[in-house]
Amino acid sequence: MTASLITDEVRAQLGQLTQPPVTAQITARDAQRYAMAVDDLNPVYFDEDAAHAAGYRTLVAPLTFVGHVVAATKPLTELRDDGLFRGVTRLRLGLPRVMAGGDAWEYVAPAYVGDVVTAESRLASVEQHDGRNGAFVTSVVETVFADQDGQIIATLRQTAIAR
Amino acid sequence: MSVNPTQLTAADVAVGDELPVVVKRASRAQLFLYSAATWNPHRIHYDRDYAATEGHADILVHGPLQGAWITQFFTDWAGPRGRLVSVSWQNRRSAFPDREYEIGGRITAVDPATGDVTIEAWEQTPEGERLVPVQAVVRLPLTDPAQGGTAT
Repeated sequence: MTASLITDEVRAQLGQLTQPPVTAQITARDAQRYAMAVDDLNPVYFDEDAAHAAGYRTLVAPLTFVGHVVAATKPLTELRDDGLFRGVTRLRLGLPRVMAGGDAWEYVAPAYVGDVVTAESRLASVEQHDGRNGAFVTSVVETVFADQDGQIIATLRQTAIAR
Repeated sequence: MSVNPTQLTAADVAVGDELPVVVKRASRAQLFLYSAATWNPHRIHYDRDYAATEGHADILVHGPLQGAWITQFFTDWAGPRGRLVSVSWQNRRSAFPDREYEIGGRITAVDPATGDVTIEAWEQTPEGERLVPVQAVVRLPLTDPAQGGTAT
């Protein structure tokens, strides 16, 4: 077992907000650009009639888009060497390389074009592991997405791997 | 790949059924557009020289882009009246642009009362190397409203 990479400072953040809550509106253009970029051309994102026929009150956003509409906007001065923005999470692990480890989504209600989504992200866990190429740390951030009426749209548990 | 034109119902599926395999292949331009559409400046997704300094053989397909592929795999199969209730995936190995990846899945449980279908799925190389294990629950209608039944 190598020395702990998880400081008391990091441990103290468990259960805390990883950043202030972010609120953003889902626009048709942003949602449709995202749908095009992932190459998912489901008509419920583009055609009101198709959305109604599928049981929705208006156009919906692609399910995974709700996780991106609330991406924090930061100035270029906040970019790190690896291109990530500083302070997107407050974790200070001293590990330079970060990769996506996986997501767990629960979809509660549709995310409609026009909805104003608020995301609250909390640090759910931090664990150190011993890998073939040395120690690495997995962190899980749990985000709750709610619409303008406080209705929960989705929850996301997102794992990041730092090494 | 597009939305299943025939609406599946819970009565149409059974444990052991396999979902149709979908093949995905990201171009470098697609990775760029995805980074832009998601406000993601991480250099491992567009800067090959930088990616090499982190030990990657090439730029990487974003883990959540593969998640969007996996999500579409379920929503296309479920049809317009189907709903994805939950999905989780674990990015175990890196995926690279200009290569084909297959997404497949198998039904492991069907609840005839709710229409909830539990699916074990995966993303793999054409050679069968698993990159991403996936677990999902899709809720199918109990009856097809187009056939005169009651929508759920």
